Amino acid sequence: MKSGKLRGSGIRRITSKPEFSSFLMLVIMLVLTAVLQKNFFETKSIMRNINAFAPLILVAMGQAVVILSGGLDLSSGSALSLLTCVLTFVMKKNDPASGVYAIIIAFLVAILLGVINGFGTGYLRIPPVIATFATSFIWLGIALFLRPTPGGESVWWFGVFYDFNALKDVSGFFGTVGAFLPPALVLILAGCLLWFMVSKTRTGRYIYAVGGNNDSAYESGIKTAKVQILAYVINSMYIFLAALFFVGQTGSGDARMGDPLTLRSIAAAVVGGVALAGGRGNVYFALVGALILSLVNKIIFFADIPYAYQTLVGGAIVIIAIAGSQAYITASTRTKEIKIG
Amino acid sequence: MNILEAKNVRKNFGGVVALSGANLTCREGRITGLLGANGSGKSTLSKIIAGAYAPDAGEIAYLGKVVRYRNPYEAKKQGIGMVYQNLSLVAELTIWQNIVLGDETRKGYSLDDKAAKKKSAEIVQKLLPGLDIDKKVYELTPGEMQIVEIGKAVSAKPRLLILDEPTAALEEAQVKSLFKLMRELAASGVAIVFTSHRLWEVMEICDDLTIFRNGQNVASLDFDKDEKDAREIVFHITGSQKETAIAKNCAQTCGDTRLSIGSLNFGTVLKNISFDLRKGEILGIGGLAGQGQQELMLALAGNFRNLSCDAKIDDKKIKLTKPGKAIRNGIVLVPGDREVEGLFPRHSVFSNLIFPKLGMKRQSLFIPRKQYRKECERITDILAIKAAGLDVPVSTLSGGNQQKVVIGKWLTSEIKVLLLSDPAKGIDVGAKMDLYDYIVKEVRGTGMSVILYASDIKELVEFCDRLMIMYEGNIVRILETDEISEENAIRASMCVDEGSGEPVK
Repeated sequence: MKSGKLRGSGIRRITSKPEFSSFLMLVIMLVLTAVLQKNFFETKSIMRNINAFAPLILVAMGQAVVILSGGLDLSSGSALSLLTCVLTFVMKKNDPASGVYAIIIAFLVAILLGVINGFGTGYLRIPPVIATFATSFIWLGIALFLRPTPGGESVWWFGVFYDFNALKDVSGFFGTVGAFLPPALVLILAGCLLWFMVSKTRTGRYIYAVGGNNDSAYESGIKTAKVQILAYVINSMYIFLAALFFVGQTGSGDARMGDPLTLRSIAAAVVGGVALAGGRGNVYFALVGALILSLVNKIIFFADIPYAYQTLVGGAIVIIAIAGSQAYITASTRTKEIKIG
Repeated sequence: MNILEAKNVRKNFGGVVALSGANLTCREGRITGLLGANGSGKSTLSKIIAGAYAPDAGEIAYLGKVVRYRNPYEAKKQGIGMVYQNLSLVAELTIWQNIVLGDETRKGYSLDDKAAKKKSAEIVQKLLPGLDIDKKVYELTPGEMQIVEIGKAVSAKPRLLILDEPTAALEEAQVKSLFKLMRELAASGVAIVFTSHRLWEVMEICDDLTIFRNGQNVASLDFDKDEKDAREIVFHITGSQKETAIAKNCAQTCGDTRLSIGSLNFGTVLKNISFDLRKGEILGIGGLAGQGQQELMLALAGNFRNLSCDAKIDDKKIKLTKPGKAIRNGIVLVPGDREVEGLFPRHSVFSNLIFPKLGMKRQSLFIPRKQYRKECERITDILAIKAAGLDVPVSTLSGGNQQKVVIGKWLTSEIKVLLLSDPAKGIDVGAKMDLYDYIVKEVRGTGMSVILYASDIKELVEFCDRLMIMYEGNIVRILETDEISEENAIRASMCVDEGSGEPVK
């Protein structure tokens, strides 16, 4: 099947995909970083980078699911903060079992957050920008209530979500694995697996249909509001994974730590070729987008740009990246979109 | 057996009567054609049957039971499939994903894509062999999209299939294979309703024919018994009333050529269009709905960037690639949908009227309000715009008065060619007369030229000095002064040959 599809104009088919520009950009970024940072390909450095990039990658993949379904989540950063607060609120340092309760409760809270966002946009028909902007303050409010200042307790084994070495006293296995495998990578792979499974179901197909054309989807008998809720719930799963990582890393909760991730996750999805209008793009390429954004920061750091200009240059590169991928998409689809009637 | 029986169906949209007692019967295994002029109610009835609209009165019996569907999905579940004129596909999904959308089957944990592909491939194979079902819908041509749409309706295995102008976007070979599929379906017992503006298609494929005029069915033909006579069909479509010819004095008043258009092409929508417009002339664009008339108006107003066209105004070569260029050369479009394209409904009459000035001319730093207010008052006087003042929002005005504002806002600039796209759409009869009176006066007095497109053929017949008939993006005929009549116009629109009375392909 696959080979038949690529017959003849194989290269053209690949380059004409909107994702191709993101991929190209990633390669350029990798080359640039490798040139600027001498030890970029050393195991230690790679592991450190994966840890640094993981939260954005996870949140961006969730964001991409929502954007594909025709929505937008301005509350994902606050949701992440809230989940770290919930985790550390439930956990008691001296009670190792409390860690399990914390994970279960945080998981249920994550689902609830997704359902509320999806209900507001799907059933109440509040525009997603407004609905999730409003809920972002609700999440923040609850998080501040739970944890007015950063802090909190976590059980000793929670560090496993950041570094397998945290458990090396339990078994030598964790020590060996921890030497080369960062848990962040496992979380990212879990995220990829989640989308792989969803994309095999009706829900996966319907997310594209609803985001592409809500009315057509409805007329085809799809319960569009339910699909929107599911999209937000899937998004919450990614945020939940990111929260596990954060608490594993810091051992504390912080009501404001997720804030910068909201807009960065949207930017990452767009850089990865996910169309903001919905229905077009690929969740895995949100991962690529997140990598590109993260590498931009690294390049700026290593390129010896004065600190005062780093933010400015970073913003400019993001705009160039987005404009570039949009121009690429327009160019590769223009011929087909001459409107009739 | 009767699959469907619609009796005495009525439907109003606002104050407009779309259906006033329409009847339709569809029999098992037969293809029923629906014919009628624009706005005769064919599409409305089709949509009511498919559950997209609710009828105001009347009864629809499907498979012997009286039904009332709340939405198209309910009707679809009962076996009524409809292919809409405006497509309902999801552009980002592939062909086969669209065909099975909402109807996916599962195999174990994941979707049974193999079965879905097989099913889709079978249907597509019949309609358009060689079409790759893995293509995404946005990669397709309009004709291919139409085929996928039909495939989607057919895949649901309907008992009653309604095809609303499915052939408009298709090429001839595609039409042939569609007809073949329709015959197959009919042979398996499906009842099909087929709407088309192409008379030859209807005569070729249909077993029964129902003709609509002014929201009613005026004739039903059974081709098993009745003869296929194109003249008679056209007669039913137009009705028997004879038009009183209005004296056209254009011959005296029309001057030299004002605008000359040569070999205008745009995509597949407008094909090789050439015509001349004289000074002080009202040139009509007629034809069936959606044959490229509105696109031609937009093209002349400079809305299409990659338009190819040799245009001359007063013997000066001009380009029509941007609205600004057209306006600077005195070509001004009064758009059909004033709500969307022509007005800022929530802004005041005043700001709507001065808007073109702000856009087109060099301005002093501050807007000379007093001077502009005076000019605006003069305009409202000339056009007799009834408003509670210059500062009320335009949306508070009646439709006719709103339309006058749309025209009025261009009056302070020098108009050489006025493009009117359905100016009387949705306004009442009195306002319509006012508006046309003013336009005709202006034309005769100042030598301004007008190109008029109206969906109502009566308006065209009444006011135009010449009438161009468009058909599938071509100008097929230009009716001169004394030839202009409703019957001639409709005959030309349907491409019925003058001599033999036969439909031309």
